[in-house]
Amino acid sequence: MRRASSINRPPTPDAEVDQEQELSLQEIINIKLIESGEKERLKELLRERLIECGWRDEMKAQCRAFTRKRGRNNVTVDDLVDVITPKGRASVPDSVKAELLQRIRSFLVSAAL
Amino acid sequence: MFGRNPTYTNPKPCKHLANYKLNHGLNGYNSIQKSFKITPHGRTAMNGDQSKIPRCNFCSGYQGRLYFCLICSSVSCCCSPDSNHALLHSQTENGHEIAVDMERAELFCCVCCDQVYDPDFDEAVMSKQIMEMPRNNNGVDVRKEKSNKRRKLISDSNNSKELFLRMGRGSKSCFPWGLRGLNNLGNTCFMNSVLQALLHAPPLRNYFLSNQHNREICRKISSDRLCLPCDFGAIFSAIFSGNQTPYSPARLLYSWWQHSANLASYEQQDAHEFFISMLDRIHEKEEQARPSNKDDGDCHCIAHKVFSGLLRSDVTCITCGFTSTTCDPCVDLSLDLGPSNGSSTVVADKSRKPSKNTGVSTLVGCLDLFTRPERLGSDQKLYCPHCRERRDSLKQMSIRRLPLVLCLHIKRFEHSPIRKMSRKIDWHLQFPFSLDMAPYLSSSIVRNRFGNRIFAFEGDGSDMSTEFELFAVVTHSGKLESGHYVTYLRLRNQWYKCDDAWITEVSEQTVRASQGYMMYYIQKMPFYKASEELNHLPISPRGDPFLSTAECC
Repeated sequence: MRRASSINRPPTPDAEVDQEQELSLQEIINIKLIESGEKERLKELLRERLIECGWRDEMKAQCRAFTRKRGRNNVTVDDLVDVITPKGRASVPDSVKAELLQRIRSFLVSAAL
Repeated sequence: MFGRNPTYTNPKPCKHLANYKLNHGLNGYNSIQKSFKITPHGRTAMNGDQSKIPRCNFCSGYQGRLYFCLICSSVSCCCSPDSNHALLHSQTENGHEIAVDMERAELFCCVCCDQVYDPDFDEAVMSKQIMEMPRNNNGVDVRKEKSNKRRKLISDSNNSKELFLRMGRGSKSCFPWGLRGLNNLGNTCFMNSVLQALLHAPPLRNYFLSNQHNREICRKISSDRLCLPCDFGAIFSAIFSGNQTPYSPARLLYSWWQHSANLASYEQQDAHEFFISMLDRIHEKEEQARPSNKDDGDCHCIAHKVFSGLLRSDVTCITCGFTSTTCDPCVDLSLDLGPSNGSSTVVADKSRKPSKNTGVSTLVGCLDLFTRPERLGSDQKLYCPHCRERRDSLKQMSIRRLPLVLCLHIKRFEHSPIRKMSRKIDWHLQFPFSLDMAPYLSSSIVRNRFGNRIFAFEGDGSDMSTEFELFAVVTHSGKLESGHYVTYLRLRNQWYKCDDAWITEVSEQTVRASQGYMMYYIQKMPFYKASEELNHLPISPRGDPFLSTAECC
C-alpha cells in the first residue's frame, strides 16, 4: 500500500532560525569582515603583494601554458580555476601569508572589543 | 596597414548568450546596473545589499565564485567541479543560462562553464563607472573625437617632385656604405657610441644627408660660428662619403664642449647625458633659426620629430578613486633595472633561489615595472581635490604617444646621495630584437584597470604602429669610473660592432649577450627597415624630411 508521503512529513522547519543556529565561528568572522569593509581592504592589500612578488605573473604564465597544451578552444574558466587553484595556493610566499594573518589577527582583536 | 590589437574585436557569443540576447535584449543588464559598485582602483563588483552577504540558493554557502542569474536574480555558487551549483541552476530552471560573476561583474554562461563577452554588457558596466567616478572620469577619456594633433610625418608624394640622386659606391669595400669607424680623441667613446647610433637612425640620416639643415645658409645667417647641427651634418657627409678610413669627430667635440662647458674635459662622460645634450642643442639651434608655431604644442625641430613622445602620468587617490592625469613630452625612457639587492621581494617559485648579484632581467620586465601602479609612500601623500585632504595615492605611468625612434635607457649607474656612493649594476639584460609597445600605451594601461571589458577607449585604433625594431645598441663594459662604450649596429640584417675606430661583423648572439645600456628601436613602417639598401636617396625640394626611400632594386 502506498502511503501518502505528506502525512508523515515533519513540520516545515523555520528557515531563519535554522540558519542562525548553524552559523559557525568562521562564518561570523567572515560576516564581520565584510560588513566592516575590512575584507575589501585585505583583498586589495593581498592583490598588491601578490603582484609585487611576481606571483600573478607566474600564474598567468601557468594559465597560458595550460591553454596552449589543451588548445585555446578547449579550455573553460572552470577548467583553469580547477587546475591553477592548487598551484596558486601552494606558491603564495610565506611573508605574504604572515602579513595577512597579522592583519586579520589585529582586526579580530579590535572587533572583539 | 598597421596591425590592430586583436583583443579589441568582439568574440563570438555562445548559443546560450545569443538566445538570451534574443529573448531579453538589454533588460537584464540595465536592471542590475544599480547594484554595480566600483572600487577606487577601478574594479567593478556586484554588491547589491551591503547588510546581507550573498549566499548560494542551494547550499547557503558564501565561498567560491558566486553567480547572479540574469533572469531570476538567484545566486548560485561554484566551488569545484563536484559542487557546481551554477550549472545545477541552469539545469533545474529552463533557459536560465546566463549569469554575472558577482565579484568581477563579468558575464558567465552556466552551461558552457565559461566566461562570455558582450559589448552591450560592458557598456552598461562602463557607463555606470563613468557616471559614478568622481569628476575627471577616473582618467578615462571616452570616445573623444580623434584629436587633430597627429603630426604629419609622411609627405604627400603625389605633390612633391622627387629627384633621385644616385650615389656611387666608390672604392670596393666589404662593409656597407655608411659604416665608418670613429677615432677616440681621449676618452670620447661615450660620444662615438652615441654618434654611431644616431648616424644610422634613418629619419635623422635622411634629414641631414638631404641637407635639410643647409650648412651654407646657416653659416651666412648665424651670428656665432658655432652650430652643433652643422657639425653634426658634416659628420653625416663624412661618414656616408664612401671613405672607409676612421674619422675624427674633432669639430663636433669642440662645438659640444663650447656648449657644455662643465663637461669640457678629457674625463669619462656618460653616453646618455651626451645623447640628451645633443638633442637639446639641435632643438635650440632650430628654434633660433625657425621659431615654430606653438599652435599644436608640438615642436617641429628634427630632434623632437624623431625622438619625442608623450608620457602620461595618472595619480589616483586610494580612498575615493579620483584620478588626476598629466602628460609630459619625453625624448627617451629611463628604465629601472628592477628590485635592488637589498629588497625583500620573494620569487614566487620557491625552487628558484633568488639570485642577487647575478640577476637576469628582461627589457620587457623593465617596461612592465615602469608601467606598474606604484603606491606612493605615506610620506608622499598628495592632496586629493575630491576628498579635500591629503591621501595615500597610486601613481601609474603609461605612454600616450610613441616616438618614431624609441630610445630606452637602462639606469645602470646608481648614485646614492645619502650614502655618497655610486655604483654600476652589471646584471645582464635580455632585450628583444622586435618589440611591441602596445601593452605600454595609455589606452592599454587604462583599459586594464577596468578588467576584461570590450569598450572603446580614446586612442584605440590609432594608426601609429606599435611594432618596433632594434637597430642600435650602446653597451657599457667595465666599472663606473673606468669603462668603455661600444655600439652594435644593424645594417641590412647584419650586426656590426663599432668600437671606436674598429668595425667588425658580429653574430646575433654576441649582441644578445652584450650589456645593453641604451637601446634604439625604430617604428616598423613600410618605409623604414634597418635592412634597406642605401643606393638611392631622394631629395625633395619641399624640404620634408620623411620620404620613402626606394626599395633596393
